[in-house]
Amino acid sequence: MAAKNHRQWLAEPALKPNEWVDSRIYSDPQIFEEELEKIFKKAWIPVCHESELPNAYDFRTMSIAGEPIIVCRGPDNEVRAFLNVCPHRGMIIERRASGSFLEGQPSGNPKRMTCMFHAWQYDLRGNCVYISREKEGYQERLRKEDVGLRRLRCEVKFGGFVWVNLDDNPQASLEDWAGPAFTCLRKTLDAEPLEVFHYHKAIVNANYKLWHDTNCEFYHDFMHYHNRVTGFNDAYFARKNEAFQHGHVVVGTFEVKYENYEGFESRAALSFPHLPPNQWYMIDMFPGMNFNLRGSALRCDIVTPLAPDKVMIEFRGLGLKRDTVEERQTRVNHHNSIWGPFGRNLHEDLLGVQGQGTTMKPGSEPRRILHGRHENQTIHDENGMRHYYQEWGRWMNRQPNNPDLPYAEPMPVAAE
Amino acid sequence: MGRLNVDAAALVRDTIYRSTILLDRQDWNEWLAHCDDQFQYAIRSWSPEINKDVTYLALDRQGLASMVKLLPKHNTDHSPLTRHTSVYTVDVDEAAHSAKAVSSVIVYQNLLDGINSHIDAGESRLFLVGKYLDAFKIENNKAKFVSREVRIENRRLDKGSHWPI
Repeated sequence: MAAKNHRQWLAEPALKPNEWVDSRIYSDPQIFEEELEKIFKKAWIPVCHESELPNAYDFRTMSIAGEPIIVCRGPDNEVRAFLNVCPHRGMIIERRASGSFLEGQPSGNPKRMTCMFHAWQYDLRGNCVYISREKEGYQERLRKEDVGLRRLRCEVKFGGFVWVNLDDNPQASLEDWAGPAFTCLRKTLDAEPLEVFHYHKAIVNANYKLWHDTNCEFYHDFMHYHNRVTGFNDAYFARKNEAFQHGHVVVGTFEVKYENYEGFESRAALSFPHLPPNQWYMIDMFPGMNFNLRGSALRCDIVTPLAPDKVMIEFRGLGLKRDTVEERQTRVNHHNSIWGPFGRNLHEDLLGVQGQGTTMKPGSEPRRILHGRHENQTIHDENGMRHYYQEWGRWMNRQPNNPDLPYAEPMPVAAE
Repeated sequence: MGRLNVDAAALVRDTIYRSTILLDRQDWNEWLAHCDDQFQYAIRSWSPEINKDVTYLALDRQGLASMVKLLPKHNTDHSPLTRHTSVYTVDVDEAAHSAKAVSSVIVYQNLLDGINSHIDAGESRLFLVGKYLDAFKIENNKAKFVSREVRIENRRLDKGSHWPI
């Protein structure tokens, strides 16, 4: 049958219920708000890399689910995270993206986090150490010892990434949450210190899960001329998608033939430690973070959902801290040639997800989004997305293919 | 090498402005004809987020030629870019037959097919703000680009671009 009338268009596809989702999960404002509360405020989120705050008193700011966060390195070299909110009147404490508290500020002293509004000051452990005119205003009713910053669970792990969880009692430790998925790269990422060399961000009009899906399914390599000429061979099509607990997926490796793209070169000479040359691993973390290692450069995508149809994606590139100037430049060029904002692939990926977002705005007619490819769990199989949306259903207690219904585990399928 | 007998500063300005038009027209090869064989091109920015200078693209002349040759094989946003360039300074080294120039550049994107053309096509948006930091050699009454650094202020680059800026 060719083109469909409206009734046919809305009919359920001839696939199993977990092989498609309802597009409302990408566009419904209520579902979006629920996701922030039920998922983003309870999951481990990588927020930056330790190399972004190399010295004591360095800080970085960011946000999770609309909550402003500050990460800082204390004089004891510990990296800690706090809500970037003054307990006095709710002012955001630090407005800069990064910096050092070794410098004094107009309202406060060096080595302190100072709220510029009324000059309340905090040390790098989050203790309140100064309230301006404390006795005059509060007498003995409220003392600086009674207030302090909201501390957050924070760990530096898996190659030096800083992970934060807004939930004091997360459902899993960070090790249990991400350790199994990182097994394939752990020896490589922990072999020696890494360093961020690239940062840029994109705000695109698409749901954050659509960016996860783009990273998770490789069937869209048909969109990438680069990947077709450097990849499409028997080893590429044998790459496995492996599902891990908590909704994570790892895409197995193969040797990429970069030299097949005119003007590009092999990355073998700068391979990350313990990796054969020109390998390409990808770890897709629930609910949408991505670690992508193409031999000589590591990319990390951090998504910050802004609206049902709007997401900010922060792109980082990392190399080895010990790189020489020449090695670093080569690594940067390898990274940018594909993944930079002017690179060959990232622009295409963002056009793809933006195109999906265009058809899935709040209020758009619900439609079916297919996740039904089965290819023995190899590269063009969509088992990774099916695994992700099972996890999403559990966290949200909604059926991905009918979010009005409570979640029910799918019947076991042998091929899965 | 004797002293120059041309108005090198005027040559440099003219080359920058003509190149702006060629880039706007996506006449990449004609633009590359104004570039020396040793030409080096880069797009860079300072990131206060990671406290580092970041390089977003770095290519030599051959790399640029390969890149523009392969553009038709790539899916891309075809929304035209319009550069507004103002040459601020030209410093000529008469003895070395070379010059350096600093220009302001603002790039607008006139939406065509990047998002939803029914709604967005025809709209112009600010795309990039920055400077061209150019170096030239003056030879045979011509100014040829030896290097161009596009120094942008943006780190939010949204969909980005496949094109030289």
